Amino acid sequence: MSADNLSSTGEYSAQVSGGVLSEITEFLANEAAAMDDRDYARWLTYVDERFVYRVPVPRTPDNAFAPHYDERSMLIDESRWSLEGQWFRRMDPQFLELSWAENPPVRFRHFVSNIRPRALKQAGAFEVRSNVMLVGTRQSDAPKYLTGERTDHLLKAPQGWQLLSRWVVLDQSVIDFPQLRVML
Amino acid sequence: MTLTQREAADAPLRVQRKSWADEEVFAQEMDRIFKHTWQFLAHDSEIPEPGDYVQRRMGRDRVIVVRGEDGQVRVFVNTCTHRGVPLCRADGGNASHFRCSYHGWTFTNTGDLRGITYRPDVYGDGGIDRKAFNLFQPAQVDSVFGLIFANWDPDAVNLREYLGESVWYLEAIMGKFDAGMEVVGTPVRNIVKANWKTEGENLSGDGYHTMITHATAVELGLFATSGDLEKLTDSLSPRFTGRTVDCGNGHTLRVQRLPVNIEGTRYWGYPQEMWDQFDRLLSPQQQEMMSALSVCHGSIFPNMSFIENFKTNVDGPEMHARYFRITIRYPISATHSEQLWFLLQPKDADPAWRRLSSLAYLRTNGPSGMFELDDTENFVGISEAASGDVARQLPVTYLGGLGHSAAAADLGWPGSVVEGDKTERTIRAFHRQWNALMGDLS
Repeated sequence: MSADNLSSTGEYSAQVSGGVLSEITEFLANEAAAMDDRDYARWLTYVDERFVYRVPVPRTPDNAFAPHYDERSMLIDESRWSLEGQWFRRMDPQFLELSWAENPPVRFRHFVSNIRPRALKQAGAFEVRSNVMLVGTRQSDAPKYLTGERTDHLLKAPQGWQLLSRWVVLDQSVIDFPQLRVML
Repeated sequence: MTLTQREAADAPLRVQRKSWADEEVFAQEMDRIFKHTWQFLAHDSEIPEPGDYVQRRMGRDRVIVVRGEDGQVRVFVNTCTHRGVPLCRADGGNASHFRCSYHGWTFTNTGDLRGITYRPDVYGDGGIDRKAFNLFQPAQVDSVFGLIFANWDPDAVNLREYLGESVWYLEAIMGKFDAGMEVVGTPVRNIVKANWKTEGENLSGDGYHTMITHATAVELGLFATSGDLEKLTDSLSPRFTGRTVDCGNGHTLRVQRLPVNIEGTRYWGYPQEMWDQFDRLLSPQQQEMMSALSVCHGSIFPNMSFIENFKTNVDGPEMHARYFRITIRYPISATHSEQLWFLLQPKDADPAWRRLSSLAYLRTNGPSGMFELDDTENFVGISEAASGDVARQLPVTYLGGLGHSAAAADLGWPGSVVEGDKTERTIRAFHRQWNALMGDLS
């Protein structure tokens, strides 16, 4: 089953309580901290087996009301399998020395704000929109910034909150960032 | 313009490191290279309907590539002939006319000045000759396999002659599909903190760096191993083999074959139902090139590169696919460039395979791919180190592969084909062409 199935319902139920908003805010802060710490084992505990992560190609369209991205083409298209089995393993001790772009690593810092959760029809499922700014600093270079809007799908599971999918629309159409393999 | 000899004799040559960091060299490149060479702009499939346009660059000039109401593709400098304001601000779209935001001069999508606002008030009885203010255009525009190129120089050789022997290889990649190829969506654009030449030099045919720069990606299973291949065939050979081709005019490529001993053709990485097409549309020599292909990549001088590549285990075990990518690098400054990334796919291919092919691209050699990350560190580093006042005067060493032998004549591939792909032969060919256009830099 794909996490996409959740978005196909497209319907929202009642308003989210303050307690749930607080839990989601805390979850997103912890999830971002695990990424910034490069603690991928911890990060994976926040992520469902079905997790998919996509970033469509940003663009400047010729219509002020058209989306500023093209969903036919992706900048990033990953799954939990590819993240766990390929992306993160680059940092394993046996690979790190020859993972040139991670050594030294780009320093990432997430800023997550404007969190807007809405409950989906499925019990415990939420669509959470938020704004994200990612700062990346490579070696002695000046920091670079990426901003965008996340649409996450979260599920309140018995073991805690789980991230089911992440879709991020970037604002910059010519991306100026030290590394494009980024978890926004 | 001067063109180097086709199949130029290979020999050592000297390139100073300031070529990757010096603003004076860069300014000369803009004048001597980018005003005289054919540059890739767009693919036909990006602008299929009348009025469809994309905004691109030739060197540092912004241009509009547009299909006119008459169906013809034209290229216009994106600047009003009146006071120079850009006519088009979007990356692409559809327009019958382009209207300037400053004084409202309006041009058709075939480049003619159609309307001048307040004409009697502004230009009086004498008027103004509207026909003298049509949009600026490059001297030549042409296409091959849907790839649209333009050239500012009216005296430059035509596109087919310029591309020379490389057309045969581009045909082997793009000409093997009944329905043709299309660009998937909008190309990614990003800023690379490196001179525009660095990535093209690598893609020209550097088979020497792969197992070092990409050691991790290979270890993680993204590049075919004997373990992957023995599930495809029981006839493995001990090692990968490769060749490089010098097509003249600075255009080169590398073809690496998977380590297998097979009779007939095996186009692993494509759905098997497509293989008959390839056998039908390609010559026997092109079939040999594309069968059991590991990777074919090359550069079209000055700033376009292409790669067709077989990648393994990209979305799970035994999930292998080929992809085809084109990149171009716009020069921004001596140490910065803007790169565009095009994924092209056969139009009528199975959607599930197209999805796998796009993952094979994105997760390895796409802008966020593992191979690309590690490559980029090298390209950025070359420009960073070449900025030093001592380092800029040091030479680089391009002696690799000078002793390699020519391929057997009965191979039948055009251009100058040499056995072995752990070589710097193609980079020498790039810089011979660069030297021929740039003249003496000392």
